[in-house]
Order: sequence, then C-alpha cells, then structure tokens
Amino acid sequence: MSVSESLRTEAAALLADGRVTMIIASRRRGHDCVPGFFTNADQLDALDHDPDQQLNPAAYLRKEEIRRQMPVAVVARPAVIRSIVLLAAESQITDDDVVILGVDGQTFHGVLDLAAAAALLKAQYPDLGPDDDVLARVDELNAMSAEERAAFWAEQFAKCTRCYACRAACPACYCTRCIVERNTPQWISTAALEHGNYAWNVIRAFHLAGRCTACGACEAACPQGIPLMLLNACVGRTVEAEFDAKVGYDPEAEPVIGAWREEDKEEYIR
Amino acid sequence: MTEIETTTPAADQAFEPRIVAFVCNWCTYAGADLAGTSRLHYAPNVRIVKLPCTGRIDPLFVLKAFEGGADAVLVSGCHPGDCHYTSGNYHARRRWTIFRQLLAFTGIAPERLFFSWVSAAEGQKFADLINDITAKVHAAGPFEATNPARRKICR
Amino acid sequence: MKALDTAKLSDLAAALAEAGYRVIAPVSDGEVLRLAEWTAGDEIRTDGFAVNSIKDILLPRSEVIASATIDGDAFSLTDVPVEAPKTVALGVRCCDVAALAMLDAVFNWDYEDAFYNARREATTVVALACTTCDEQCFCTSVGGAPDAAPAADAILRPADGGAKLALETQTDKGAALADAAAGVLADLDVKPDPPADVPVIFDAEAVTEWCAGNFESDLWQAVSLGCLGCGACAYACPTCHCFDMQDEGTRTAAVRLRNWDSCGFGLFTQHASGHNPRPEQAHRWRQRVMHKFSYLPERFEVLGCTGCGRCARLCPANVAISEVCRQIDQEAKAPAP
Repeated sequence: MSVSESLRTEAAALLADGRVTMIIASRRRGHDCVPGFFTNADQLDALDHDPDQQLNPAAYLRKEEIRRQMPVAVVARPAVIRSIVLLAAESQITDDDVVILGVDGQTFHGVLDLAAAAALLKAQYPDLGPDDDVLARVDELNAMSAEERAAFWAEQFAKCTRCYACRAACPACYCTRCIVERNTPQWISTAALEHGNYAWNVIRAFHLAGRCTACGACEAACPQGIPLMLLNACVGRTVEAEFDAKVGYDPEAEPVIGAWREEDKEEYIR
Repeated sequence: MTEIETTTPAADQAFEPRIVAFVCNWCTYAGADLAGTSRLHYAPNVRIVKLPCTGRIDPLFVLKAFEGGADAVLVSGCHPGDCHYTSGNYHARRRWTIFRQLLAFTGIAPERLFFSWVSAAEGQKFADLINDITAKVHAAGPFEATNPARRKICR
Repeated sequence: MKALDTAKLSDLAAALAEAGYRVIAPVSDGEVLRLAEWTAGDEIRTDGFAVNSIKDILLPRSEVIASATIDGDAFSLTDVPVEAPKTVALGVRCCDVAALAMLDAVFNWDYEDAFYNARREATTVVALACTTCDEQCFCTSVGGAPDAAPAADAILRPADGGAKLALETQTDKGAALADAAAGVLADLDVKPDPPADVPVIFDAEAVTEWCAGNFESDLWQAVSLGCLGCGACAYACPTCHCFDMQDEGTRTAAVRLRNWDSCGFGLFTQHASGHNPRPEQAHRWRQRVMHKFSYLPERFEVLGCTGCGRCARLCPANVAISEVCRQIDQEAKAPAP
C-alpha cells in the first residue's frame, strides 16, 4: 500500500469511530500538493501524501478554528512530530488533543499517540537537527570576522519586508501578541529598515532557543529567500552543546530557557 | 532616507566610547556605589542602568543599547549563589550564553559585549572592570560604522 | 517597428540609465527574482515571476513621511523631501500595470497623496507582454490580458520566437523613453509572438455579486483554514496598499513612518479596548476577498485583483485567491444545500 492509501484508510477509520473530527493532511491541486483539512469520509479521495512538504502543519494547532475541532489528526514527518511533542511539553496541547499519522518520505509509521510518537523519534530518529550543509555554512560564517558577518547579514536582512511569514509558519510562534506587536513600550521597530529587521530576526531566533525543531518551515516560507535556518542552527547548536538538550523528544521536558543548572557555562563571565 | 543627527560626536573629536551597563541593584550597583564612596577613579564613559536583578535583563535591552549607538554593553550581577532573588542570575546566565553566540554570529563581536559578576563588596573590581573595558573599546574604535543593530533614521 | 534583441535588453537599460533614469527591472540575486534597481552587469529576466511588484516603486515598504526636532518644549517639524527620482519600470508584467488604475484611485480619492503621486509622475512604465504563464496566473478571469497594458507608457512584445522585443509606445512619456533609447532600438520587421493562453477559471462578476449577499457564509471558514495569517500575499500583491503609521524617535528627534500592513495579520483590527472585530482568519479572509471583489469595485469600478498569482506562489500554505474565487463562483451557481 502506498503512503497515500494508508493515510486514506487510517483517516477514514479515525473519522468513522469519532476518534478525531478533522484530519490535517495534504491534497492534490494541479501540479502541487497543498494543505488539506478533512472532516468527512467522502472528502478523503482528495487526500494525498506530500513527501516534499516544507510547511509544518503543527503550526495549525494554534488556530482557534482548528482547536475547536480537537481532537484532530495530523500527518506528521519526524520534524513535525518534534514540534507536536514540544507543544505538549509547553502545555499548548494535551495527549487527548492530537493523533499523529507518522510519515517519513515513503514510509508510513502508523497511527500514534503522543507517547508512541516520542518513542518513535527516540528509537528511529535520535539525531534530528539542521542539515549538514546548513551547519557547514554556519562554520564558514563563524570563520569570518565580525565585520564580514555583519555585512553578510546586512545584505540578507535588507531583503526582509516584515511579512512575518517565518513567524506564521513556525509552530513554536504561538504568542497571541508577539513581541514585535507590543508598543507600550515598543522594543522592535516595525519598519522594514536595517535596525528593525536586525532586531526582529535576531530576537525571533532567540525566542526559539531550546524550542526550534529545525523543520525549516520558516526558511521555506520566506518569500525573499533569507537563510533563516543559519540563525536557528547557530542557536540550536549552542543549546545542544551547552545545555545538553534535544528539543522535541520528551513531552515532559523542562524548557531550556526556563531551567538552569549550577554547572552552566560561565567562563566568559568576568 | 531622513537622518537626524543629535548627539553623535563630530568626527574630529577624539573618540570617547559610549558604554551602557545593565547592572543588578543588590550586587553590582552597590559595588559601583562602593567604588564611588571609596573615591576609586573609573572611566566616566559608562552609563549605568539599574535593574532589580540580572534575571530582569531581557536581551532586547542589550539590542536597544546598540540600536541607540552604544559602542559596547556590559551586563553584570550577583555571583552565582548570591542572587538576592535566589536564582535570577542563573536564569540570566543561560540567556547570555545563547544570546552572545547569536549576536557574535550576526556581527556584534564579543569585544563589544561583556558580562561579569560583581558583588556589593567588590568596588575595586568594578572600577578595574570599567577601566579595562573602556580601554579595550577605545582601542577597538567606534562601533558606529559596523554596528548591525544601529538605528539610522533618527539618532 | 522599433525593436531590439532580447539578449540586448541590458543595453536598453544602460541607455536609459545614461539618460538619467533609475532602472527598476526583474533581476535575480542567484535565487530569487525580484524587481530591483538594475546596475551594469545585471541580467534582466524576461522569464519567471518577480516576488515583488510595481507597487514597491510607488509605495515603498517603509518611508519617512514627517520628521521633527525636539528642543526642550520646542517641537518643530522639518520638511521631508519626497524622494521621486526619474524612474523606469522596465519589463513589468501586464498584471502589474493593471494595478495602477486602482492604486491611482485609492491614493487620490479623499486625499491626494503627495508621496505616491510624485513617484507615479516620475515613473515611466514599460510593460512586458506575456507569451507564457503558469498555473497561478489568472489575469483573464479579472478583466485583464497577458498582452494588453493600457495604463503603461510603453509595452515590450516578445517577437520572432522570443529572440526579439518590439517596443510599442502608448503615451508621451513612453515616446520620450523611446527617444532616449533610440541608440539601441532599430526599425525591424518582427512578428510579435502569440500571447500566453491564460484560461478563465472563474466569473469575477459572479464573485462580486455573491459577496454582496453572503457576508455570514460558512464558506469563509472553509476556504481560510489553511491560512497562517502572515503578510506575504498582501505585501507581494500589486494592488494591496494598507499601511501602518509608526512614530520613532529619541528625546531630541522624531520621525513618522508609513509601513506596509496586512489585513491578514491577527491584530490588524485590534482595538485599544481589546476588542477585535475580525478575531479569526475566516473574518480576515472575508475582508480580503470582499475588499478586492466587492468594496473596491463598488467605490472605484475597478477590481482589487489583477490575477498576477504572486500571492499563491509565495503563500507558505499554498492558499490561492483564485481557488477561493472558483469555489465562490461554484457556490454562486449551485449553492450547497
């Protein structure tokens, strides 16, 4: 059975026995595979697996109109499962809210609850993270001088139009009032100018410290082609190295920034 | 783009670094106070911003200082274990470890961003620290031209 | 007719730059194609779709519109010179040009926007007729055509199988541009290529009519489930023009900025009281479609959509307003029970 067929079969069963009221999956539209929301068995013919999906459907779990439908099923590749586990660890969803239809390329991992999904990650995908070429590029940049890096990022951030597609695409960006939308006081300029663009992109990367699951949806969403994963890889690597934390593997994990250890690094502190 | 000059020193004046220090009330601020009452001399370039605890320091404060034209920023608080609020400095420490890497990666080098633990009794340490940082930043030169966070439309 | 080799388009740009025009044309940065300032050495692309539109030239994403200095209690406004260099938009698609009628109307109906008008006046628009299209194009569904740009000052038509571009001037500004470029244009006997075949996929009039009577329809939620609420579509759209005013300053100086805004953002209609009349994406999608297909036609007799398809190409969730309109059209013709 192809993954699509397995998904359609399982989706039908989940809807039939009322375990979920909506399946968040993909559907075919012309030559594209686009997000699809299925609430009825007779819609399922249109359900198609998207092995190249770049969007992270866990981002839909913050939408009120989706939450009202919970429990929902989500077709989730490993990076997406990490995001769902993170949302549970941050008390945004409970065990009862989401059923995971695990997929990976042309493999169907079955119908999973949160615990089973986390177990799958630990067993079969223990080392998920940014791609090697992203990490290599981070190393390349770190080998440059600070001025050269400043120039590189100035060129990248000059393209930013402050559309916030990166934020919208990210499942971990679920604040109902984002820091960039606060104006009493205003910390980040909303103008698409150098200082605002620098602050926005840097602070978003920082707010994702210990929360980013390297799904790449932000970079894929950016209409301007800004290499956002470089920022997330820089932060993610620091988090893993300094705090021995793997994001999105344990639904009971403590938050990285909210926790601390006596032995946390401090040799740079005078 | 409209640029409005305000207090940026003229090019022909000798460079005096503008350093912003975010310090905690109970330790570093008291230490700075002690430096003063002990008549210890330290460079006048530092502008001190007092907060109850380093745990209150949001990385945005650091960014805002650079946006406004700081040539360097110092963040300082109580030694681990001595925090007036028990663990504020431990929380801060985690943030700093991540944030300094991120800033360095995007063009604000460690030569512009300093962290320290200075207790209420360490007046001498505070004075030495400020003098050392000021000298280092003086040598590094103005950050104005290469500061990626600098606001240009209204200075 | 006046024509040049397509491969020599950069020479045309160079001649225009020489004549004092700032040349904005589709150039690639290696990964992304965008309408940007052309400099010598850049290749002007006649294939592909730029991620941004002619709107960027006329309404920049952020601009200073007022400034002041503050000295104690004394607050004095200083003049903000309107930046409107002589510009040519070289090689913008006909769907971009179709947006001009609507933008001109909006920026002059209750108030004449000096910034927009200065830039509009200073810009010569040279359209590029389309001989190919993609799945997201739908200009023909909204009263447009791939090879007609009545509001353009001139239009470049691919000819001789794409090897040549014929320049047809339509206004005095266009004629002036052709004169400035006389050195790179030759009188050639070229055969313009057939326009792209852009299928009509919905009846815009039916959409307008349906919108007027279906404010409370369930359809709005169904079509907006995929939308994540970013501004990629509104910013890329040649007709979207909503903006936000922001003041920034120090104790001694201040500026007022006009920045792009999007009705798709969750807080776009947030009131200071805390109430939000468009609390969910369905309400915001209703607004988006009705603004383009109902309110704007009612007020200005132009649609707020030119069928360029940028929104669908750039949407992180592949939401396409053309698909929404097709569903509305279907609903209008055969309402679900």
